[in-house]
Amino acid sequence: MVTPMTSQTTQLSAEQVGYLTAGPGRAAEAALARLIDAGLVRVSRDGLVTAVHSNNHGATTSVEARILSYSRTAVRFDTIVQSTANSTEMAQLHRHLLDRRLMQRPRRRHEAWWFSLAIAGGLVVLGFSTPAFFVGVPIALLFFAWQRGRGPVTKAGKEVLRPVSASDRVYAVALYGFCGKVGGHRVGDLFELSQSVVKMIPLKRQRARKSSSDGGGCGSASSCSSCGSGCGSSSSSCSSSSSSCSSSGSSCGGGGGCGGGGGGD
Amino acid sequence: MAGITDLGVGIGWRSEIDLTVERLPGVDFVEVVAENLHIGHLPESVTLLLERGIPVLPHAVSLSLGGADEVDLKRVQHLGEIAEAVGAPMVSDHVCFVRAGGLDSGHLMPVPRTKDALDVLVANVRLAQRNLPVPLALENVAALLEWPDGELSEGQFLAELVERTDCWLLVDVANLYANARNIGTDPERFLDEIPLERLAYVHVAGGEQHGDVYHDTHAHAVLPEVLGVLDELCSRVRPPGVLLERDDNYPSDTEIASELAAIRAVVDKHRG
Ligand SMILES: [Fe+2]
Repeated sequence: MVTPMTSQTTQLSAEQVGYLTAGPGRAAEAALARLIDAGLVRVSRDGLVTAVHSNNHGATTSVEARILSYSRTAVRFDTIVQSTANSTEMAQLHRHLLDRRLMQRPRRRHEAWWFSLAIAGGLVVLGFSTPAFFVGVPIALLFFAWQRGRGPVTKAGKEVLRPVSASDRVYAVALYGFCGKVGGHRVGDLFELSQSVVKMIPLKRQRARKSSSDGGGCGSASSCSSCGSGCGSSSSSCSSSSSSCSSSGSSCGGGGGCGGGGGGD
Repeated sequence: MAGITDLGVGIGWRSEIDLTVERLPGVDFVEVVAENLHIGHLPESVTLLLERGIPVLPHAVSLSLGGADEVDLKRVQHLGEIAEAVGAPMVSDHVCFVRAGGLDSGHLMPVPRTKDALDVLVANVRLAQRNLPVPLALENVAALLEWPDGELSEGQFLAELVERTDCWLLVDVANLYANARNIGTDPERFLDEIPLERLAYVHVAGGEQHGDVYHDTHAHAVLPEVLGVLDELCSRVRPPGVLLERDDNYPSDTEIASELAAIRAVVDKHRG
């Protein structure tokens, strides 16, 4: 697959796609990718990132401005991805996605878990007096399991991600990360980044939950090509059919590649 | 000097812009800061440039040959080893001191232009030359101050240094311009006085005017006036090489390429 160098027009910016696909680490990677693509930062062979201009020139988002100001003096590739993932600007992007109801607040998810567990507990107690209540216990537990399995990306979020594809190298990073693959090509290669640079992004333990939109990611190249419980095994299909991959949110977007670290929501 | 009669136009290789240097069209040679390289593991980019046949010249900043302290032969040895590792036809450092009384100045300090200071410099240069596998070129520095009781002009000082040590000259036209602006050096007289036949190559760099003082920052664009000094030099001699030094605030690849093109235009103008 030939990946054009220029960016596509979409409702979502690359960093938003990155966030929805694999969390703040991926969003940071996508923002960095946009800046490299535009020639606004350069990355050296040993992974030093430096801004080309000294005045945040060319930034189109606050996350990009943050990267540019942080890289006025050379900074390591992984450091800038991680620090951007943990920045207040990234938190703002998260809030924006919450406001647009493309993501849901973690607290609500937690509340739903506890609610279903409490119901199950209540049904058990009631079951001792009226055994018929026991019938409801597996239903409540199933509901709990379903809630646990739900990612932070809402139905609307998955819906808006559905048409997004790796139509250019920036969106390729948003969907698969620098250490992912698209159409059989390493995404890092599209940016002339060596594997040693790409591998700088630290390995983050995948969470048990499938969706990594909380920021979990995997950085080491060895695990990259197959990382993520959901996406990993299907990484080749991911790259060959990006749109179907990204749209399948819970399975693929949720397994998603190298998130580049960064805290969860 | 055999082997480096025509270096062409080059750029200072720096790790931050390694891929840029590799990509740039028309880079005929590069210079590396010797202190930043380590024997046994040269940067991948430097190895790649060598494989392409691009000459790599080690440039030192720490020999402190103008200082009264004993020359640190370990530094000289390191410079020589780097020269051998990259197959360089020559190495260079500055006419300056960077240490005194065990303290590091952090700057390239100008040497007092007295006969006594020249004797010390000559002795140090000879010692360094004896311990280097390739010829040594020495560069004029930018000075913000002049030591009192100078007995020689900068050109006379360098001419005598060349005569007594047989070293080569690395003329930095930006430093020459800086000295013209800051301490009143006459660039034309300087070029008249130095032995141009011993010119190894030329440095060009950017800087910035702050009030009355010109700062030789190597982090700003090359001023047209600096290219004017290069033009003056090229009208007298065909320099074996001209190299752009940029050490910080690296601009876009396009801007670097256009600075190299501007340098090449000045050089080519005199080649007829
Ligand atoms: Fe210089």
